[in-house]
Amino acid sequence: MSGMDKRDYPEPGAESIARPASAGGAGATCAGGSAAQGSHAYDLDNCIKCTICLAHCPVSRVTDKFAGPKQNGPDLERFRLLEPAAVHPSIVYCTGCRTCEVVCPSGVPVAAMNSRAKAQYVARYGAPLRDRLLATPDVAGRLATLAPGLINRLGRSNWLRAAGEKLAGVSAALPLPRYADRSFPVLYRMWRRERQGAGVNSRSSHGVTGGEKVLYYPGCYVNYNQPQIGLAVLDVLVASGVEARVEEFPCCGLPAISAGLYDAARHKGEETLRLLKPYLEEGYRVVTTCPSCLFTLSQKYGELLGLDLAGRPEQITDIFTYLLELKEQGRFSLNPAPLPLRLAYHQPCHQRAMGCGSPSLDVLALIPELQVVDLAAGCCGLAGTYGFKREKYPVSRAIGENVRQAMEQLALSEAVTECGMCALQIGHLTGARVYHPVELLSRAFAQAGQKG
Amino acid sequence: MNSKKTDIMVIGLGLAGMVAAARAAELGKKVVLVGKGAGSLTLSSGGIDLWGYSLEQPEKPALSPRHEISRLVERNKDHPYAKAADVLEDSLAFFQAVCRSAGLPYLSNGLGNWLVPTALGTLRPTCLVPESMAVPDLQQVARILLVGFAELKDFYPAVLAVNLQKCGCLPSGCRLDIADVRMSGREMNAVTLAGRLEQLGVLEEVVAQIRPHLTPGTLVLVPPVLGRARHRQVRENLAALLGCPAYEVAGLPPALPGLRLSDALLTHLKRNGVTVLSGSTVHSVRLDEQRRRCLAVQLAGPGGRLEVQAAAYVLASGSFLGGGLKAGPGLVQETIFGLPVQFDPDGWACEEFLDRRGHAFNSFGLRVNENLQPVDGEGRVCLENVLAAGAILGGSNWPVEKCGNGVALTSGYKAGQLAAGGV
Amino acid sequence: MQKLSVQVVVVGGGATGTGILRDLAMRGISALLVEQGDLAHGTSSRFHGLLHSGCRYAVKDPAAARECIEENMILRRIAPNCVEITGGLFVQLPEDDPAYAEEWESACRQAGIEVEEVDPAAVRRQNPALSPRITRAFAVPDCAVDGFRVVWSNLHSARRYGARALTYTRLKAIEQQNSCITGVRAENVLTGEQYHIECQVLINAAGPWAGEVAALAGLEVGVIKDKGTLIAFNHRLVQQVVNRLRPPGDGDIFVPHGPITILGTTSLPVENPADNRPQQKEVLDLLAIGREIIPDLDEYRLIRTFAGVRPLYQEVPLAGSGRSVSRNYALLDHQQRDGLAGLISIVGGKFTTFRLMAEKAADLAAGKLGISRPCRTAGEPLFDPLPPEWLERGRKVFGVAAAHKAAERLGDDFAAVVARAEQNPEQARILCECELVSQAEVEQALAADTTFTLGDVRRKTRLGMGTCQGTFCSYRSLGILSRYPRFAADHRQYLADFLQKRWKGMRPVLWGQQLREAQLSTAIYSALFGMERML
Repeated sequence: MSGMDKRDYPEPGAESIARPASAGGAGATCAGGSAAQGSHAYDLDNCIKCTICLAHCPVSRVTDKFAGPKQNGPDLERFRLLEPAAVHPSIVYCTGCRTCEVVCPSGVPVAAMNSRAKAQYVARYGAPLRDRLLATPDVAGRLATLAPGLINRLGRSNWLRAAGEKLAGVSAALPLPRYADRSFPVLYRMWRRERQGAGVNSRSSHGVTGGEKVLYYPGCYVNYNQPQIGLAVLDVLVASGVEARVEEFPCCGLPAISAGLYDAARHKGEETLRLLKPYLEEGYRVVTTCPSCLFTLSQKYGELLGLDLAGRPEQITDIFTYLLELKEQGRFSLNPAPLPLRLAYHQPCHQRAMGCGSPSLDVLALIPELQVVDLAAGCCGLAGTYGFKREKYPVSRAIGENVRQAMEQLALSEAVTECGMCALQIGHLTGARVYHPVELLSRAFAQAGQKG
Repeated sequence: MNSKKTDIMVIGLGLAGMVAAARAAELGKKVVLVGKGAGSLTLSSGGIDLWGYSLEQPEKPALSPRHEISRLVERNKDHPYAKAADVLEDSLAFFQAVCRSAGLPYLSNGLGNWLVPTALGTLRPTCLVPESMAVPDLQQVARILLVGFAELKDFYPAVLAVNLQKCGCLPSGCRLDIADVRMSGREMNAVTLAGRLEQLGVLEEVVAQIRPHLTPGTLVLVPPVLGRARHRQVRENLAALLGCPAYEVAGLPPALPGLRLSDALLTHLKRNGVTVLSGSTVHSVRLDEQRRRCLAVQLAGPGGRLEVQAAAYVLASGSFLGGGLKAGPGLVQETIFGLPVQFDPDGWACEEFLDRRGHAFNSFGLRVNENLQPVDGEGRVCLENVLAAGAILGGSNWPVEKCGNGVALTSGYKAGQLAAGGV
Repeated sequence: MQKLSVQVVVVGGGATGTGILRDLAMRGISALLVEQGDLAHGTSSRFHGLLHSGCRYAVKDPAAARECIEENMILRRIAPNCVEITGGLFVQLPEDDPAYAEEWESACRQAGIEVEEVDPAAVRRQNPALSPRITRAFAVPDCAVDGFRVVWSNLHSARRYGARALTYTRLKAIEQQNSCITGVRAENVLTGEQYHIECQVLINAAGPWAGEVAALAGLEVGVIKDKGTLIAFNHRLVQQVVNRLRPPGDGDIFVPHGPITILGTTSLPVENPADNRPQQKEVLDLLAIGREIIPDLDEYRLIRTFAGVRPLYQEVPLAGSGRSVSRNYALLDHQQRDGLAGLISIVGGKFTTFRLMAEKAADLAAGKLGISRPCRTAGEPLFDPLPPEWLERGRKVFGVAAAHKAAERLGDDFAAVVARAEQNPEQARILCECELVSQAEVEQALAADTTFTLGDVRRKTRLGMGTCQGTFCSYRSLGILSRYPRFAADHRQYLADFLQKRWKGMRPVLWGQQLREAQLSTAIYSALFGMERML
């Protein structure tokens, strides 16, 4: 073998950034370079049919009703260039977990193709009323918090759930998420009044401190179901000397995207951006606690809906990445109290899809005596509203079986995960108490505060 | 941009990268393992091929792969084994220990190779196999029952039967029978079928269709679909129901045996404190002023950018398939650091697809020194704290040599160990 | 030795030969076709699948242009499933001679071809891949045509009228008495079976082999064998056929074909009519030319390259470039030309006018037989239109895309394939996931008496012609094939031949994603299956 690459290597020079060839440095000479970024047409050329997406697909693992990510995605995408209706009906079984995209060695946005295909399918054949209702958790949440007690009782009524399953196709097996007595926006206003009354740390009427402008984006699950997570965020931020603003946003649109209802999703997205853009333009950092909302805002808006975040996606981040930044800057100085707990950590699929691991684990590692064991059991199967659909509940449950077994094998009865819906599913499958990492953090801070 | 400090950063989620990370973690180092994709173990047989055929008589399966490797490294100083075979035994022992603790024991056949059947009816020499593939010596069997599933389009017992008989490895008079199992009529891929067989009731229905074909002493061969996470129970239940074990035959991807190995290693890593960032691609690398060392690797994913700063880096990003190398007409590049690649601009591929010499492009890759540091044409180290392992290493024509996973394992182990020792 | 007797023997199973067979059969003439390989294995499937509007020839050869547009319209009518009415474009770049456009436009109109100038910006909106440098664009009635389907449809139709065909049967000798054709001897190249076929007329439609066939009768027919290389891209880069608005040259036509796009062709004289081996240099040359029309052509994935040998007729064989030789056909009556009665050669021409060539040859043959029934091939469809009900049933078993593709491929065989899958639900599964070929379709092909190899299945179905180039479906089809006793023999050979044919097209384009594909393919067939050492 002759012919070593003749380039002089290494070259002397100042500290330098070498861009990898795959990012376009050599696009002119090797196919698949810079011009290939962001174009659907090139994306499907990158698929070499290796079946790795199929091997790892959680849905294919448990059901033969889904033709798999490869067949629905890049295989049929070639034909969709010719005939947009080239969609396999099994596409509705895709959960949108994005595993296919994460495992693809070729950088093919398989999940995005499948999502667009599902939207094509729905646009052509329509979606059941149930899917349209499930796609608007913000509307449901706002209605439910008018009479949460009643709604929760109704939600637990067996006969009503049975009727719901029969008439509307909403599975009766899975408990509906409980609605909070007071929504997060209400609680937030109370929280602010209390603090202003107490005169604590209230340096600005706009809730901005230290020159850093932070907006907390709660998402529907915090807004209507688990507002204590949002309060924990505010507490943790305050403990770090940051006071965040809160805005009441509509649903980010993910449930609508998942249902293939792109028009409805775009509507939500536009409304969200209308509220968000002034903050972004003013230089606010936007922190989130829901990986799915974050993924939708930072990735799906642009990729699927053609919406853009005022060109400032880097301003939106999850709370833990933000806290780690504060720590880096030496502003995250409080020592959390020990929490002698042993918990399972479940990584939500959308957290994994973001490609930066789980920053929450790095933050939780700061809490003494807290033992967090990575379940490493893959998708929980709920996939937002997917598991609530009667015909999909068995699929959802079967996918979650690995999570249940891993909990059992590790003899763990408590868990922590960033995603509210994953938490719901883990609780449903294992009976475990499931925390959001920020709740643990807030608890450790609170205990430290009491001791101090 | 957030940054993350760690002792060792491993790039690549295939066998080499996972083994490197596991070894470094075992030595007490903080390890960040990143990758786009999920490695290509699901494209392999799931066995660990060390060396398939005799160097002297390339048609004959190697009786002792270790012996062949020891002779190979004397002759071919450019082969990756020449740089990593010193840790061969250690790496095998380490791998077996990790797999055993993960509930997926890998078995050796003494010091020799197994000869395991494939779905095409060929016999492949391989060194370590999972229990599910540890077929007894075919020359000792009087009757083989080949089980197929009507729903599985990737496995055909009739093909296996015809060609197994031709391969000359069965005793004369050995009978081959076929049991065609029918489940639902709907098409299933191996992944779905494996999930289905994890249900005891389904397994019972399957066995009810196999049992009539069974006589005592029959060797049962099945497609590689005996469960995924619960493979152990599936195999035990199947053996109990049949009254004898059934063995998996390597077949077309997606391959469950490789998937199980990938799952097991990844779980091992996560449970042992390795930070795994999947779905992440390398955006750029930061070198020091002299361009002698790598200071940081910047990652990009949908969630934004992340910089990882490590003392040492293991590059296990694979060959062309894995994305470690990329090619244009007459040109090959390493995709992350732009390291020099060893390739022949004029000879990429043979005229015959099945040429026994193998295609040259499969042996293109990085040249490394005995510390697995990539070197340039003059043998100078390119980046002191970057080591390479796995399919990105040049000099091995793994498809015909049958040594892909073996090279990945030994070089990955060595790279992890050297990186942990400080480079 | 089988003895047969017909009025006419046709040699050559391409578009012209099968077209002649159909034409003769429709006139009630007993006819038999002899083909040395599979139908459509030669030039009829090795071109860019362009159904010419005639515009390309309008300036230089108005008569040919007129023939093209007439035949174009006829084929759209009689073979709707073989023709994809894409429309075509002629585009001009700043470096092209602007005066040529005027000359060309008026020549097209004079030839009766409708051309219409269109806004380059609108063209680019529909085809974003095209160069922003396009200065003028004209819409023309070009189409994409599937050579395989046309040939098979011809044969099916001819069979319904009682004609026969022997594939894999090579002509060994031409028998004559008193300067009159009396019959031929032929041999099946797979089985060695010998045939003696009596006939009154022999029509030589052997394309690039026409010289070799004539030589069996001791005659000389001048055929320049002109190799044209083409490349296939993985997807549909453009929605219309795209030609360069300048005098015809190498590599300047893009033809979208279902899910792929073909770019071609080169022109290189070769000695051997079987020399259809493309070289990497030709591919790089094609890319260089194609890049002018599609600037980021290198970013798109090439799946393979292939070459065909054009048979160009020249009465006196001359050394010289194939491009300057007429694309017109020649009908040779060897009785007049050489004094051998009963022998007709039809040489040259192009795919678009195959029906017309067949008509002329059949007219001549009918005349020799004293039969005056007129040609009906321009009016009668190649197959009965598919009842919509079958398409609906097909969608139910195969899904929308697979059903539509199968319906296009199969024509009147579609109903039988749907019925197969309805009766055996497992046959509904898709064996070739890249081209959406179902097991039922493969089984239908295997059951045909003209199928002897996996390559024959491929030509009938498009199995293995997509992105992965047969890596997955070839093993699967081996599994299906092994159920048919007549294919039980040598699995290694069937599979190796199939993979080798795919390799021939992939090997010159091994870079980018296709090199990764090749690595996957070797990982499976060599690393995993150890097929290189298989007995």
